[in-house]
Amino acid sequence: MNDILVTMHEDLKQALTRKPEERRWAMLIDLRKCTACHACTIACVSENKLPPKMHYRPVYEYEQGQYPKVSRSFLPRPCMQCDKPPCVAACPTKGEATWKESKGIGAGTVPIDYAKCIGCGKCVPACPYGARTMDEGKFHTEGTPAIQRYETMPSFEYGKKRTRTGKNQPIGNARKCHFCIHRLANGMLPMCVTTCPCRANYFGDENDPNSLIAQVKKANKVQILKAGKGTAPRVYYVSNDKLETLYR
Amino acid sequence: MNNSDKTQEKEKQSGLSRRDFLQKTALAGCAALAASQLDFARLLVSRVEAGELSEFEAYELMQAENMLYTVCLNCNTGCGIKVKILDGVAVKIDGNPYNPFTLNPHLPMKEDPAAIAKFDSGICPKGQAGHQGAYDSYRISKVLKRAGRRGEGKWQSVSFDQAISEIVNGGTLFSQVPGEENRQVTGLKDIFVLKDAKVFDEMGKDVAALRKKKTPEEKLAAIAEFKTKHAANLDKLIDPDHPDFGPKNNQFLYMWGRKKGGRADFAKRFNEQFGTNNTHGHTTVCQGSLYFASKALSEQYVGDTFKDGQKFYWQADQENSEYIMFVGANLFDANYGPSNRSPRITQRLVDGKLKITVLDPRFSKLASKANRWVPVKPGSDAAFANGAARWILENQRFDAKYLGNANKAAATATKETTWCNATWLVKLDKDGKPSTLLRASELGLKEKEKRTDKDGKEFDFEYLVTMQGTKPVAFDPNDEKESVVGELFVSAELDDKDGKKIKVKSGLQVLLDTVSEKSIAEYAALCGIEPSVIEEVAKEFTSYGKKACVDMHRGPAQHTNGFYNISALMSLNLLIGNFDWKGGMIVASTFNTDGTKTDKQPFNFKKITPKAPKAFGLSIIRHDAKYEESTIFDQSKYPAKRNWWPLSSDVYEEILPSCADAYPYPIKAIFSYMGAPTYSLPAGQTQIEALTNLERIPLYFASDITIGTTTLYADYIFPDLHYLERWEMQGSHPNMPVKVQPIRQPVIRSPNEIVTVFGEQQPISYEAVWLALAEKLGLAGFGPNGFGEGQPLCRPDDFYIRMVANVANDGKEPVADASTAEIELFTTSRRHLPRNVFDLARWQAIAGTNFAKVVHVLNRGGRFETQENSYKGDQVANKYGKYINLYQEKTYKCKDAFTGKHYLGMAKYMPIVDTLDRPPTELSQGYDLQMITQRDVRMTKSRTITHSYLTDSMPENAIIIHTSDAKKLGVKTGDQVRVLSATNPEGVWDLQNGTKMPMVGKVKVTETIRPGIVTFTVGHAHWATGAVDQTIDGTVIKGDARRAAGIHANAAMWVDPYLKNTCMIDKVGGSVSFYDTKIKLVRA
Repeated sequence: MNDILVTMHEDLKQALTRKPEERRWAMLIDLRKCTACHACTIACVSENKLPPKMHYRPVYEYEQGQYPKVSRSFLPRPCMQCDKPPCVAACPTKGEATWKESKGIGAGTVPIDYAKCIGCGKCVPACPYGARTMDEGKFHTEGTPAIQRYETMPSFEYGKKRTRTGKNQPIGNARKCHFCIHRLANGMLPMCVTTCPCRANYFGDENDPNSLIAQVKKANKVQILKAGKGTAPRVYYVSNDKLETLYR
Repeated sequence: MNNSDKTQEKEKQSGLSRRDFLQKTALAGCAALAASQLDFARLLVSRVEAGELSEFEAYELMQAENMLYTVCLNCNTGCGIKVKILDGVAVKIDGNPYNPFTLNPHLPMKEDPAAIAKFDSGICPKGQAGHQGAYDSYRISKVLKRAGRRGEGKWQSVSFDQAISEIVNGGTLFSQVPGEENRQVTGLKDIFVLKDAKVFDEMGKDVAALRKKKTPEEKLAAIAEFKTKHAANLDKLIDPDHPDFGPKNNQFLYMWGRKKGGRADFAKRFNEQFGTNNTHGHTTVCQGSLYFASKALSEQYVGDTFKDGQKFYWQADQENSEYIMFVGANLFDANYGPSNRSPRITQRLVDGKLKITVLDPRFSKLASKANRWVPVKPGSDAAFANGAARWILENQRFDAKYLGNANKAAATATKETTWCNATWLVKLDKDGKPSTLLRASELGLKEKEKRTDKDGKEFDFEYLVTMQGTKPVAFDPNDEKESVVGELFVSAELDDKDGKKIKVKSGLQVLLDTVSEKSIAEYAALCGIEPSVIEEVAKEFTSYGKKACVDMHRGPAQHTNGFYNISALMSLNLLIGNFDWKGGMIVASTFNTDGTKTDKQPFNFKKITPKAPKAFGLSIIRHDAKYEESTIFDQSKYPAKRNWWPLSSDVYEEILPSCADAYPYPIKAIFSYMGAPTYSLPAGQTQIEALTNLERIPLYFASDITIGTTTLYADYIFPDLHYLERWEMQGSHPNMPVKVQPIRQPVIRSPNEIVTVFGEQQPISYEAVWLALAEKLGLAGFGPNGFGEGQPLCRPDDFYIRMVANVANDGKEPVADASTAEIELFTTSRRHLPRNVFDLARWQAIAGTNFAKVVHVLNRGGRFETQENSYKGDQVANKYGKYINLYQEKTYKCKDAFTGKHYLGMAKYMPIVDTLDRPPTELSQGYDLQMITQRDVRMTKSRTITHSYLTDSMPENAIIIHTSDAKKLGVKTGDQVRVLSATNPEGVWDLQNGTKMPMVGKVKVTETIRPGIVTFTVGHAHWATGAVDQTIDGTVIKGDARRAAGIHANAAMWVDPYLKNTCMIDKVGGSVSFYDTKIKLVRA
């Protein structure tokens, strides 16, 4: 049997042979397998060159019950890439800076065009999941004898080689998880999925019934976060907990 | 439907030929990957034509020429990594899919690295953040020499050559420091005094002989004789009246923390030529008593005695086990776990194919996924094991067939690869206590024999005895032909050859009688749990045949009773005979590096290394030695001043305090490598105190990448290479069924100063220090002819390329030769490395005809056997395959250096005690909470604090406490408290020089811990490593406060009331006591 990373890598290649409008990128996180190792969080920080205190994908930890009958639950929270994204509605650029993508590799995601983003920050509170953060231009190695070069080397978000220094974008912009479409475009899984040591993450084209994500989704009862908000997330969860009681 | 079924189902539904593909190519996914990579390339072309392709192709991190494969070292797991490099800078790290520590099953070596470049595998957050350690603003790049008092934080940078020369020659090296104007330091040249290998040999033999003298008079006579015989060389001894201290060469001490193969061999090469016996590792701060109890379990019966035990241990083959009882192990945070063990069990846990029970006072992440959590009291592990063993024995739930096998032939006949001494007869002493094993000659049953070993050397062989019915039968435990099966339960009185009565019991009877000393209810009370839990767990454990394991780690080991905890737990595995079985207890297996394994390996290091003198004499930690045999025993008797370690080595906590006590003799110089005993050990302040003792530790030089929490106290710090800049042979871990040799290699340039050693330019490194010392001292085996005429050992690659060639050629078949294209990739991907690190022509010259194989291995970050070759039928392919001691005669034959009592041959629950066997009643008075420690997956002891991705995710740790205890104290989450204990009533870290750091941290209140217990994660609250200001060449380098955040409470851990300058210890197994201290918390 293959490691599911290999299976999903294969699935992804299949998905890329299909037309963007036929695909439906989705993520499924099996919380029964998540151990809150935070590898996804840090891998994402490193891949996307996130500044301090910005996590595209934090992992929340919960505990319930009383000793000795206790339980612990762990919940990674990427951007939900909502089909009805409140952040888009809140953006004053009227869909110029952030929108529900319908074309190309990123079809189905909610990208941000850093060049068009005016940095007003209105999208940040609009997101019910707290998935957006403003980039204040800080660096991890600030306050040490020298800012280190790896922090000022280019990142590849949205397929653009971009050096984040001075006033360069995305400094001053809102930022968020984008399913690593710069990797997807090249047949590579999102960073968080790739590095998950517990293999709790599934990613792929859920429109393909043969894809692993579609199979896992079908075989399990899935939940979404804050269903009441009507955001129609593209991120599904499998959990023994009722997530609405954990994640309010 | 579970996931694996789903995958198969999916494949059926999809009609894809993946599965067929796999079967045809015999390898999982990999061939499929490679093939579809081509399809993908074609697809890219079509997308470009369609205008769909944009700048996405700018993603340079997917290109094979921008990545190098190596091995992480942000914890000891050492996962395979691929480092992605842009413009010479490591910008991203991911998993190496060739390495089974990051993908299960991993890709086979035959896959072309260019074809799989886009496939990353999974690693933990510390691995992801790894390059931050390399690019740390607080790294040192030049040699620093102390310009103030030890630990004062004042330095001057000096040239490498000056530092080496001062260390070798000695003198008034610190005359500029007030108070040290006239302090003379002895240099290594005056320590390296005995050089004649023949003298070493003769003195060593004579010392060994005098240690065996029975009476004080005989010993004194032997010493006098020794002095006469060796009159010409007595000046080269530490103390001629105590020849067993050995030569002055022993006064150079080398100690290390995290060191793996390769670097270990490098140091060994130096120290063997130097002739010191003082080379000590750090094992006992980790899980020493697990290693040394396993060593005791693995002692083999050779001739007439037990020897050749391995320092190692077993873990579960978790991907095939059906039931595992994890004891004090949290593989989701630590325990060689996250990247490696997690993917092997998470789905199986969800599917119910693996059931686990977790014994731990904390509701750890592992416990949160367990079928059963048993919150035992810390240190009660052996009580649980004894209770479970009692239930298993009384309910006949053991594997009688396995246990009945008395020798190898019997084991083989029942398809077992291991066997034990359950049926061997053990003699009882006058008090009816088990003692030594009965030899057949004692009964006149079968006489001693002279036998010859495979090298033609003659040795005495004694038969042992088992019982068949009521008849004692002599047998040879290692006999491969004549199968002997014995009775399991024997308690008898036999006539010896003189007609005297000898009382005996079988090994299993000894176990039964030992565990029957208490009832299950009594054991449960010691554990603080219900008796039914022990019974239920024992029943579950014995319900899965050999696919069940008791897998343990630091938890049970790091107590004063650690050795017995481990032995008692391991005997549960023996009761079901699960060793070497798929799903049972397995061992690590590695490809050999030193070329001594097969004739096909090109560089046999034994043959290309000049013969070294045989070091002799006691080590400063008195390991591998019995107190009673020493020349100081007769004057001082019991209790000894400090402990002796006949069964353990690498006793970390003993090194510096023993130097401070000059026991048994004074040390003159210390070199430390990648270790932070002051930070990592319990009561680490005692280690600081020792390090600031100029009289007893006159010279201390260190290798480190920053000014660390221990090297802060050094006289000289030599900058080392970060793990991304250097070589090492990582080896494996006991939970890995696949035979591997992950190889760490330089993937980025080092910031260190370039120096010349043996005429070769190289960045300052650990190796450069050894090389330069060897050059200055004129040590054999180093330099232009180090590996023989015209075969240089002048730089690290001279050493390690040879090892890689050996790895490539180990086993039945060598690895394939790299193709021309692969060799080109090898070169291109190293284009950013300077010639003083990577030089194609030089490496080719070193490897010779093996170069293409070296490339094949290095392009994949090591050598890895395939997943399918890791199992043979129902058993693992890489077997332990030997005898195991249920009853430990060798352990019994050693005595406690404080009480003179025998150690226990059969482990049982022992209460927590100090070195004089006193319960810590007084120490506990007024201190109601028991403190333990734990790991968070984002931190590894002293070395991850420099990684701001990690501290950004976890800015500080906390004192984790149960709600009920918090309520009693009136504290809530976030409140600041100070940690106090009887041996640290002030609640501070005494950093010396008048600096005290308060032991204060925030409280985190939880229901997920046993009431009465508090814990904290280790890794925060540093007093160096960039956390505080340092002055270098008169300039203040401001510290980064993030590195001082949180709490490190080791200084509250008990100092042993008798030793007074060391934490509490496990006298048998060497472990330090991490989890026994009673503390109190006060609001800060």
